[in-house]
Amino acid sequence: MDKRMSIDEVVERIPNGATVAIGGSSISRKPMALVRALARSDRRDLTVIVDVGGPDVDLLLGTGRVAEVIYAFVGFEVLGLAPHFRRARQSQAIRFQEWTEYTVMAGLDAKIKRIPFMPTHATLGTDVLRVNPSFREINDPFGEETLVAVPALKPDVALIHVNYADIQGNGVILGDGHVDVLCAKAAKETFMSCERILSSEELQRFGRDVQILRVYSRGVVEIPWGAHPTGCAPDYRTDLRHLQDYLKAASSEEGWRQYESEFVDVDHPQYLTNHGGPEELVSRLKV
Amino acid sequence: MPLMSEFSVDEVIITTMARQLKGEVLVSSVTAFGSLAAHLAKRLYAPDLAVLSTPESGMDVTPMPTLTLGQFLTDVQQGIPLTMEDIFDAIFTDHFRIWINPSQIDQYGNTNITCIGDWSRPKVALVGARGIPEDTSHLSETFYYILNHSPRSVVQHVDFRSGAGNGESRQHLGPHGAPTTLVTDLGVFDFRGPQGQMTIKSLHPGVSLEEVQERTGFPIGGGEGDILSTPPPTADDIRLIREADPLEVRKLELMSGPMAAEKFVNIYERERQTLHATYPRVGKLGRG
Repeated sequence: MDKRMSIDEVVERIPNGATVAIGGSSISRKPMALVRALARSDRRDLTVIVDVGGPDVDLLLGTGRVAEVIYAFVGFEVLGLAPHFRRARQSQAIRFQEWTEYTVMAGLDAKIKRIPFMPTHATLGTDVLRVNPSFREINDPFGEETLVAVPALKPDVALIHVNYADIQGNGVILGDGHVDVLCAKAAKETFMSCERILSSEELQRFGRDVQILRVYSRGVVEIPWGAHPTGCAPDYRTDLRHLQDYLKAASSEEGWRQYESEFVDVDHPQYLTNHGGPEELVSRLKV
Repeated sequence: MPLMSEFSVDEVIITTMARQLKGEVLVSSVTAFGSLAAHLAKRLYAPDLAVLSTPESGMDVTPMPTLTLGQFLTDVQQGIPLTMEDIFDAIFTDHFRIWINPSQIDQYGNTNITCIGDWSRPKVALVGARGIPEDTSHLSETFYYILNHSPRSVVQHVDFRSGAGNGESRQHLGPHGAPTTLVTDLGVFDFRGPQGQMTIKSLHPGVSLEEVQERTGFPIGGGEGDILSTPPPTADDIRLIREADPLEVRKLELMSGPMAAEKFVNIYERERQTLHATYPRVGKLGRG
């Protein structure tokens, strides 16, 4: 089956109030072109699930698309805190649930295995257990231990970005895998953007790097630079200069409006042009 | 005792961190200090360490601190790839170590990277607990470092427990995940107090007990009698740190604000050129 679709067709498949799991990790391999399309749409009241979030969560918060965030971390790593996330947390503008790296994985895994929860020791003795309304302390039915029950996370949609895919929806991830496979398996529908579409014969040469299996994919979009400004190893590095401009823009209302009009409310080809075009990006970000 | 001018405080801290690591365990890091400590330890103190070059993968390649968490070294250097499941299985089976850099640590070794103030209405929202709850419920050794020891970072009570320390936090946990060591710019601290409170293990060369007390948010024990001096870095330690981090990525962790921001961009570009020169790309598509 040919699963190619356009960016706009992906957005059409995401209704108001949908729960959206996003792959990648902080400033690495986030499906940013898909996220930007969602950010400039009129979708509202989304629940966003991320293990390690960064510019993806921050942009969706900055453009007012989100009602709740489930996260283990949201930040810009070496560059500092995520400005819209920070503001929304401090002003209690929307709902937040603090999870942890493994518990997000466990929640997705519980959904995959069709069980209501996964038990873990993680979060015992921490305030995450106190403030997270979803977790429960339980007793080991076989012994004496106290454990934490992590409920299944049930994304309607997963958005991920990979290096290569074929038109049937198999995907190759060459750098760190993060939690993309779990997101793809747990979601009702997974939409995958990729740097390049290859033939299925070419794709099979990647062996075990073919991590996303087509049975889990609903749609494939070829979007070169689709993770920008996050990195997509080994194709290009994180654009730290752009992320710094983002942080500067987000510090004032006027700066943010200007950022939106230049880098969010434009289609992907125009987005690349506004960065000086692919050649400019190659010269700065290819290793 | 060598003079302080022969080495800088970051080199004392990294060397001290390196000397804590031992055995055959995975060592991950999300910071330049953690990455350099793992590298130095493997070269001089603990040759069996399985050092990762990114936070979750690239086992057994020479790590180099990079601003994008090592992502570009994995592919080109052919380290052994791991998955997030591998990482958490290693944590749960206690085959994993990491140096954590919390925003706050308290007298019991509880740590905070989540928020300043109340969680539901924070004064400052930080980043979220990430994987610290997993580390502090499973590892037999947990390591922390803080680069600016002050009453705001080494506090009586953390505002939020992202990581579980000693005392009350241990109620359902047992010993695994309890705090082992804190290294700061002033000294080395362990948790030998009657209820597992923080105590002084050694002070870095030139640091006084008074200064430590002044810059700590609670009365700290272990200052009775002769206090040990942290063994300074050797010439080999210093050479290996400087060779492994020629662009001085580590210095960025000591800075903040616009000065750091501009330095980031400069180092980032030089890093690209260095990587390009050292590791020319061999893409899989390019192979016969």
